[in-house]
Amino acid sequence: MKIEIADNNGTKVIAVSGDIDMYTSPDLRKELLVLVQKKITPLYVDFRGVSYIDSSGIATFVEGLKGMMTYGGKLKFIGIPAHIMEIFCFAKLDRVFEMYGTLNDACNS
Amino acid sequence: MKESTVITVPSSPKYLSVIRAVTASMAETYGMANKAIEDVKLAVDEACSNVIKYAYKGDTGQRIVVKFVLGKGFEVVIEDNGAKAHPESIEGRSLDEVRPGGLGVHFIRRVFDVFAFDEKKKKGNRLRLIRHRRGEDEDRDRGQ
Repeated sequence: MKIEIADNNGTKVIAVSGDIDMYTSPDLRKELLVLVQKKITPLYVDFRGVSYIDSSGIATFVEGLKGMMTYGGKLKFIGIPAHIMEIFCFAKLDRVFEMYGTLNDACNS
Repeated sequence: MKESTVITVPSSPKYLSVIRAVTASMAETYGMANKAIEDVKLAVDEACSNVIKYAYKGDTGQRIVVKFVLGKGFEVVIEDNGAKAHPESIEGRSLDEVRPGGLGVHFIRRVFDVFAFDEKKKKGNRLRLIRHRRGEDEDRDRGQ
């Protein structure tokens, strides 16, 4: 898994690629929680390069979202591949996370 | 005729990618459609993650044995020598509840028809997962 964090006019875009599993999710959690502690909002997560996610990866994002909710922060997902979207839908988390096709769509929401 | 393959990997999260790769390959060999392959891969990953977390309590110096048996169904047997699981207490969280954790069991149960611990195993656990052949698998057999 690779994580790249880019600035987007004062907000941040976390681009994740590869597999998010029990081995890699602790790294993602660390990066995400640093941004949450800084109370950055909105925070965008670019899923276009993600090939796999398991329950530990999903738990990482749920934890991040819960942390952001304490300061009214927004966590927005971009470009989720179909097979990963299916997992979010099964877990009923498509109703919880904000999901958009592109960064533009997310920024204009 | 049943055909089987066995892999033994260290109980480290680092090797979950190996387990996933072999699971996907075995599911493809069995003739599953792509969607089912993804689902089975996730389910076996979750079951092995649970072995690392709960049976071995994070000890990466142990072994996980994963056996695939291809017959009338797609069977996966996962063995460890760690702490005994308590099947009666294995229950995922409600899907309507939003909190980290508690999803893995749902991912396993949605794809496998049988989820059973072998009570005869004295030390450690032997989890048997069986997915009966389904319509979408038959479609793949016919070349779709």
